[in-house]
Amino acid sequence: MTGMAVTIGDLKLRGPVLAASGTFGYGTEVPLLERRALGAMVSKGIFLRPRRGTAPPRIVETPSGMLNAIGLQGPGADALIRDYAPLWADWDFPVLVNINGESASEYGELAARLDGVPGISGFEINISCPNVEQGGLYFGNDPRAAAAVTEAVRKRTTLPVWVKLTPMVSDIGVIARAVESAGADALCAINTLVGMSIDLNAGRPRLSFRTGGLSGPAIRPLAVYLAHQAARAVNIPVIGIGGIARAEDALEFLVAGCAAVQVGTATFVNPRAIADVHDGIAAYLKAKGLGSPADLPRHLPKD
Amino acid sequence: MERGWGGEARLLVFLVDARIAGKRRVAREMWVLAMDAPEIAASVRAGQFVNLGWTPGPLLRRPFSVYRVDDDRIEIVLKAVGAGTAQLLDMDRGDRVSCLGPLGRGFDLGAGPRSIVLVSGGLGVAPMPLAAREATALGMRVTWVHGARSREELCTESGGDEVIWATDDGSQGLAGTAVAAAPDADLVLACGPNPMLAAAADRWPDALVAVETYMGCGTGVCLGCAVPLKRGGYDRACKEGPVYRAADIDWTALPAHLPYAVTA
Repeated sequence: MTGMAVTIGDLKLRGPVLAASGTFGYGTEVPLLERRALGAMVSKGIFLRPRRGTAPPRIVETPSGMLNAIGLQGPGADALIRDYAPLWADWDFPVLVNINGESASEYGELAARLDGVPGISGFEINISCPNVEQGGLYFGNDPRAAAAVTEAVRKRTTLPVWVKLTPMVSDIGVIARAVESAGADALCAINTLVGMSIDLNAGRPRLSFRTGGLSGPAIRPLAVYLAHQAARAVNIPVIGIGGIARAEDALEFLVAGCAAVQVGTATFVNPRAIADVHDGIAAYLKAKGLGSPADLPRHLPKD
Repeated sequence: MERGWGGEARLLVFLVDARIAGKRRVAREMWVLAMDAPEIAASVRAGQFVNLGWTPGPLLRRPFSVYRVDDDRIEIVLKAVGAGTAQLLDMDRGDRVSCLGPLGRGFDLGAGPRSIVLVSGGLGVAPMPLAAREATALGMRVTWVHGARSREELCTESGGDEVIWATDDGSQGLAGTAVAAAPDADLVLACGPNPMLAAAADRWPDALVAVETYMGCGTGVCLGCAVPLKRGGYDRACKEGPVYRAADIDWTALPAHLPYAVTA
């Protein structure tokens, strides 16, 4: 009998396919969703206070990918608690909130504000958003800063704390170990890469913010590699993210050492992407006679 | 209406594997594509759009206003402005297109107005045939003003009680813009390039305009289609729009030209 349940730290999820932050709003918007397939949802990233976001154009398509510079537009903690958490409290899967700040203490303050709110099951610390002037990426490419943010959040909540890592580092293992030591329950790898696209007619960047975060199938081989590197570096679970659109894509991350995956940009293209990936994994496990995602063979060479 | 699972009341959205049923040219490089999408055809309102994906195609879906509806068929109007739309135009009758919709909020024609003017520029013709049909059904007198750069670029199809043409070079109809050529009416609808809509906003602050933006998801999650508002902040063209009261948009902050289907 094949079961799809996975365990991430203390959190038991009914399936290994999660909705990635920023591509799923607050979970109320996506049409045609088959919620049975959703292991968990990570909400759109928020700051303590409301944020306006960047000026348009905010997105541009690239070969097999997409650049975005939304700038973490969001309602802030109070509105999140008032408008969304009560809905989440009724759902049959956990919702984690992607949290952001301009300083380690601001991350901690946000976690404390959301801690204990019914409907919020954990946090994904975003130390890797390329689209904000302060915070974001700065914390993600310095092991001490990454650890300081993780610790600041860890001290203010008993809920699961995941840390979403940036690919924009020379050794992801160093950052992974730093946040593991600081008390992270799991890692999410990877966030978008910083990219740029130029409008030749206008002679200027296509995005008003100049640069944006690259997502989609274009980043998948890099994401598989970095998620694998992170998984080798730590003893906590790693959740793979990056260009997953089909079950085969997700299976690559699982075989590379991830305990679960998040599906992001693919949801824009295929509103049923999460269900398709979930069902495809289940079919693969069944065909191979495997009992659960944890039973997947991982014969990866050591270097 | 159905209750969304998140508790939001939402309009029904369908994902249809639609067969291309026909293609015709309506201006130089401007085509109308018909596809079988019965559920969408039965529920779409003027100003709403569909998000199309096809194989092989670009990564993201592309938004298109629904142009006409005929029984089980919907039509869209398009030009090959990039690699994606060129691929779509290369498709033949019988080919399949993934069609998500209807999306967005259409024109609210209300019950009050007795006369309506539809002002369209270039591809902005897209939402107007449905608007004309709905306005006629409400008993309004419909004047359609359509503008383009030249006679060759004017869409040959139009409707309503009166049709006014306008071309930048004067090769057909009045010389000048569609906005300048239009008479006043109880209600004005406009669609076209953003600078044209900004001009419409100056003349008719209460006009209802359908704006053009890049879109990522088309369903309200990605916040990529941000429309800057006069009162501050942004909202989503795919969800609160694409139709707005003209005076509510901060036209200085909305990019003037957004060619769709860019694969950079």
